[in-house]
Amino acid sequence: MSRPLEGIRILDFSHVLAGPFATRILGDMGADVVKINSAARAVGANKATHPFYIMWNRNKRALAVNMSSEEGRETCRKLCEKADIVIDNFSVGVLDRWGVGYESTRKVNPGVIYIQMSGMGEGGPWSKFVTYAPTIHAIAGLTALTGVPGRSDIGIGFSYNDHQAGLHGAVAILAALESRQNLGRGQRIDMSQFEVGVNFSGPSLLDYFVNNNSSEPTGNKLPYDIAAPHACYPCAGVSGDAVVDERWVAIACMTDEQWGAFKGVMGNPAWADESVFDSASGRVENVTRLDEGVTKYTQTLSPEDIMVACQKVGVPAGVVQNAEDLVERDPQLKQSGFLHTDEGEYGKFGVTYSDKLPFQFEATPCDIYERVHRVGEDNVAVLQDWLDMSEADVKQAEEAGTLK
Amino acid sequence: MAETKGALAGLRILDLCDERGIYGAKMLADLGADVVRPEPPEGDSLRKRGPHSEDENATPVSLWHAFFASNRRFFSLDPENAEGQKQLQKLVDRADIVLSCDGAFAVDAAQLEAAQSRRPELVVVDTTSFGREGPWADYLAPDLVAAALGGVCAVTGDADTPPLKGFGELNFMVSGVYVAIAALSALNHVRQSGEGQRVNLSVHESIVSCLEHVLMAYWYHESLPSTPRIFPRRGSLHWSDSYVVMKAKGGSIMVTPIPDIEAQIFWLVEQDAHQDLLEEKYSDPRQIMATTRRVMEVLQDWVATQDVEPLFLTAQEKHMPYGWVLSIEHVANNPQLKARDWFVPYDLAGAATTGPGAPYLFSETPWTMGSYGDTGADTQALLDEMGWGDAS
Repeated sequence: MSRPLEGIRILDFSHVLAGPFATRILGDMGADVVKINSAARAVGANKATHPFYIMWNRNKRALAVNMSSEEGRETCRKLCEKADIVIDNFSVGVLDRWGVGYESTRKVNPGVIYIQMSGMGEGGPWSKFVTYAPTIHAIAGLTALTGVPGRSDIGIGFSYNDHQAGLHGAVAILAALESRQNLGRGQRIDMSQFEVGVNFSGPSLLDYFVNNNSSEPTGNKLPYDIAAPHACYPCAGVSGDAVVDERWVAIACMTDEQWGAFKGVMGNPAWADESVFDSASGRVENVTRLDEGVTKYTQTLSPEDIMVACQKVGVPAGVVQNAEDLVERDPQLKQSGFLHTDEGEYGKFGVTYSDKLPFQFEATPCDIYERVHRVGEDNVAVLQDWLDMSEADVKQAEEAGTLK
Repeated sequence: MAETKGALAGLRILDLCDERGIYGAKMLADLGADVVRPEPPEGDSLRKRGPHSEDENATPVSLWHAFFASNRRFFSLDPENAEGQKQLQKLVDRADIVLSCDGAFAVDAAQLEAAQSRRPELVVVDTTSFGREGPWADYLAPDLVAAALGGVCAVTGDADTPPLKGFGELNFMVSGVYVAIAALSALNHVRQSGEGQRVNLSVHESIVSCLEHVLMAYWYHESLPSTPRIFPRRGSLHWSDSYVVMKAKGGSIMVTPIPDIEAQIFWLVEQDAHQDLLEEKYSDPRQIMATTRRVMEVLQDWVATQDVEPLFLTAQEKHMPYGWVLSIEHVANNPQLKARDWFVPYDLAGAATTGPGAPYLFSETPWTMGSYGDTGADTQALLDEMGWGDAS
C-alpha cells in the first residue's frame, strides 16, 4: 500500500516556515521532497539544528548546493528538468537569476509545476516589500480584528498565516497536479502570502463592500451572530500569580437548550432564572451580568471539571489548553498518538518531536515520520536517484565545493 | 452548468460540510470543481450566519454564506422522504469526492459506507471535531471551544484580557484547508491506482498542528536561549521578543529590527533617535538578545513620534519588514490589492458587488467567482442532468 503522493518529485528551495510547511505535508504523504540548502544559507532559523528547522523539515531529503557556483546552479537546472514541482518563497526573480526559473525549465520539462510563495506576489507597488507572518497579520487586517474592542495591538499569538500560506500552497500544488492530467502540461502559480491572509476576512470584506461596515474586534463574542454565554472564564487551580499559571475554560452556549442545560450544570442559581436570560438576545444584552454570574461558578472549580460536567449534558465547553496541557494531558491527542517522536536519532538532540498529519487515509496510511536531515545528508542518494550520478562523481563535487 | 476552465474542471464533489469543513469545499469549488451542496427545503442553516446584506429593498443575503458557499450548485431536498432520499443517493453516485462533517445536514442519510462499497473509486473525507474514537469523540466544539482546546486561546490575547480566539472563522479555516488537501491527495491516488478511500480528519489535530512556536518551545526550550517552555498570552509580542505592535501617530504598526539589526540601529542614528545604542556593549554579538531588547525600547520611543504611513513605507524601502496595522476599510482600499486586481465582481443572488479574490493565481487555469444562488437554485438543472424525470 503506497502513500497517496508516492512518485511525485518536489524540489524545495523554500525556507523558514510557510514553504517548508507546504512541502512537509506533501512529504508526509509520500512525495519525494528534496530540500535544497547550503552551508552559506544554513544560519538562524535555516540552520539544520535550529528547532524551527527541525519542526518543519521532517520527511524530506537534504541536498546541499552552493548556488553561488556555476556548477551548483547547473546541478539545480538538471534537477528542475526531473521535478514535478519546484517551490520557493524567495522574493520574485531569484530563481530566474539562478537560471532555474519557470520559463527556462518548462522548455525542457513541460509538465513542471512552479509555485512561488512570495510575500506580496508578482507586480504591484508593494511587490518588493519584506514580510514575515507578523507583517502579514498587520497589513492583512488580522491584527486589527483579533483583539478586544478599542484595541488594535493584540492580534493572533502565533504565526497563523505562515502555516496557512503553506497549507494553501499545498492545495494549489495538488490542484495543479490534477489539472496536469487534463491539460497535459504544468503551470506556474503566483501565491501572495498577503492575499492568503486578506482572504481570511472574506465575510468582513463583503460586509464592507455591500454595507460599508468596517468590522472591529469583538473579543470572544461572535462578530455577527448572537450567542451567550460565549467567552473564556477564569477558573480555580492557579499555582502562581503569573499569566502563564492562570486556568481558564471556554463556554459557548449556541442555543437556548444549551443555556438551559448549563443552568443545570451551575446548580440552577437564582440569578440565571431571571427572564432576561431566557433568550439569546436577552443574554447578549445583559452579558456583563451574565458573565459575572458564570464567573462565580467557574472560579471555584477546575476547567477540566467544568468541561466534563458541561459536555456530559451537551454544553460546548473546553479547557484553555497550553503547551503542557496539549503534550502531557490531552487524552484525545494521547489516544491518537498525535504528538510523537520522529524515527531516527538526530545528533545532540537524540530524539526529535513532532505532530502527525491531522487526517488518516484508510487505504494508504501515512505513518512514516522520519527525522529532519542534516544539510547535504542525502547528496549521494538524491543525485543517484534523480540524475543517475555515481557516488564517486557526487563525492568529487562535494570536495570541489559545489555540493556544500 | 458549472463547467469551467479552472484547475479542477470536470471534478464532481458533494459538499455535506458544516462550518468545520466548508472552507475546504469552497477552495475546491473556486478552483473549478463542480460542487453540489444539498440543503433542506427551508434553506441551509448557515444562510443565517451574519453579516447580512442590509439593503432594505431586498431580501437579506448572508454574506458569510455567500463567501463560504461560493461557486456551489444548491440542491434542495428532504432526506426524510423517499424522493429526497433517492435524489440524495443520485447525488452521491455522481460524485468523485464527498466531503462530510459528522452531524451535518444529510450526512447520515447519504449512507456513505454503502456508496463506497458500490463504487470503490469514491473518495470520502469525513471531518469530526476530535476524531471518530477517544474520550472526547462526542464533545461539542464550536469555534471558541475548538480554539481553546486546540491551544490557540492560551497564547492569544494580552495579560489584561481574557484568552482570545481568532476573529471570525480562523480556526475552522485551518480544518477546512486540510479537508481540501486530504481530498486532492486521495484523488491523486485514485488517478494512479483507481482506488478510492475514506479519509478521517480531526479538527482538533488540525488546529494543534498550526501553533508555530507553542509545541516547539515546549519540546526544545533548552536549545532556544531565553525561551520559556510554556508561553502565556502577551499581546502582539512575538515569541522571539523581536516583533511587537507599537503606537505611532495616526495608527499602530508592527515593528521589528529583524533581520538586520545593524541597519535598524543605523536608521535610528540617522534620525538622531538612537539614545545609548552606540555604546560598545550593543555591538557585542554574544549579547544579541540584550541588544534586541534595548533596540525595541528605543524604537518604542521613536515610533511614537512618527506618522504611521510614511514610517511603514520608509521602513519597507529599507527592506525592514514593518507592518502597518490596517483596518478592514484600509485593506479593502489597499493599493497592492488594487494593482493586482485582487478584488473581483460578485453576483449575490442578482445584486452586483465586489469581494475577495483568489489566494493563488494559476497561469493556465483561472480561478473564478461565479454567481451565488438562493436556496435550491440549481435543483431543477441537476435533476435534468441526472435524468430524474426519465429514471424516476
